[in-house]
Amino acid sequence: MQILGQLIVSGIAVGMIYGVIAFGYQLTFVTSKTLNFGQGEALMLGSLVGLTVVAYTGYWLMLPVVLAFGMVQGAVVERLGVRQAIRTGSESGWIMATIALGIIFKNLAENIWGRDALKFPSPLPEAPLSFMGVNVLPMEIAIVVGALGMMLLVELFNRRSIHGKAVVATANDRDAAGLMGINTSLVITFSYALSSMTAALAGVLVAPVTLTGASMGGALGLKAFAVAIIGGLSSGFGVVAGGLILGITETLTGYYISTGYKDVPGLVLLLLVLSFRPSGLFGTAAIKKV
Amino acid sequence: MLNVEKLVAGYGKVEVLREVSLDVPEGALVTLIGSNGAGKTTTLRALSGMIAPWSGRVVLDGAEIGGLPPHEIARRGMAHSPEGRRVFATLPVQDNLLLGAFTRITGSRPKGDVAADLDRMFALFPRLAERRAQLAGTLSGGEQQMLAMARALMLNPRVLLLDEPSMGLAPRLVEEVFSTVARLKAERVTMLLVEQFAAAALDVADFGYVLENGRVTASGPASALKNDPAVRAAYLGQAH
Repeated sequence: MQILGQLIVSGIAVGMIYGVIAFGYQLTFVTSKTLNFGQGEALMLGSLVGLTVVAYTGYWLMLPVVLAFGMVQGAVVERLGVRQAIRTGSESGWIMATIALGIIFKNLAENIWGRDALKFPSPLPEAPLSFMGVNVLPMEIAIVVGALGMMLLVELFNRRSIHGKAVVATANDRDAAGLMGINTSLVITFSYALSSMTAALAGVLVAPVTLTGASMGGALGLKAFAVAIIGGLSSGFGVVAGGLILGITETLTGYYISTGYKDVPGLVLLLLVLSFRPSGLFGTAAIKKV
Repeated sequence: MLNVEKLVAGYGKVEVLREVSLDVPEGALVTLIGSNGAGKTTTLRALSGMIAPWSGRVVLDGAEIGGLPPHEIARRGMAHSPEGRRVFATLPVQDNLLLGAFTRITGSRPKGDVAADLDRMFALFPRLAERRAQLAGTLSGGEQQMLAMARALMLNPRVLLLDEPSMGLAPRLVEEVFSTVARLKAERVTMLLVEQFAAAALDVADFGYVLENGRVTASGPASALKNDPAVRAAYLGQAH
């Protein structure tokens, strides 16, 4: 029972990371029907930039720097890789372009920070807390709080502020949003900035628990993509549930069956969702009454 | 207020508008009538920047706006209630209206009193007031049409483009739409109205233009057009 509890706790932490990256996929998908296949690399860059900055500023001042860096990085991805594809109505140009940018970012990181896994300082005590025999790292709690907090803030912005409503309007109907005087190209750039910002935050949250390094992004980005499909690319908090499902099945499979198979159940679930509920477990078809 | 000279536009390689010229004077209600496919909607889309004109001039308030992106044109005071209503389905009625005032709230147009204008819209369209917290996607077709018009009015526009506000509505609601248009005209809102109900449109309008195959084939005061035998035969039919 203790072991099960322990596995679930680890699963929740890693699942929240998947969830917050998947949330980033959603942010750009709703406004532009495109997404950044280099999202894992955005996370990796955020984490490595954080590692460098933290040496000068300490942990807490490092956070805003990383968030700002994430926004700039996302805007660059949109300008270089996505904007032209959207303008010309290309169905697939952005896919290759964002993958290419991801590879470039990875090579860049390998040259700056090397290929080895690096230890990231933890802002919180590294001794686990014990709840009824289950050990929880303080950083794991920080992951859950940070990920949920980020998603809530974005949601609050979308619902309360006029600029957030403009983002939702662009997601609803880009042409009509333009008629309202909303610069929808800017909204799409902004959604990419926000998306990379959440990934960068996920990077600094997860790095103290795992390790950081130029190759940390690939697997995370891909699994988070599976989570985005499972949770639904359009359904707000479906990605949290999707992330938890994937994270927990992974740790359970890794322990009870074999670590060699830990990726299989999640991917099987992905295939099942794609076959039977293509809009995601929690995705809803758009409300439309004629 | 709005002057269009020799506007040419289309989709892909297909030319739809062939040198369309028209004038919408300040405070006037001008209607554009014509059969399906004549280019009425395309004209409005080219005016508000939803498609880029190929050539010709579009002048709003003395400034050339042809070729600007839609958000720039909106910021210069053109509101467009588009074909198919295009309300923001996942947002409440009230947020749809606030987005109509986006340029005012964010400072690219004079702000005025947004809250008072919101109340004015709810007075003009009491059905919207009842449903202000409801998601726009769950409104009936008639209510969505009212919302699309109210949303466009929230811009405090210099010119309001209305594309087929009666489309798909029950006869009672069509009457309601036309009486709303008449009220806006009484308030001296400058409007360019595209309509399939040519007779009703000419009844309420000051001036009319007849569009055929992307060309203006007749124009003049609405009352004169209504009595023009050719226009009567082609567009007013037996119904009038």
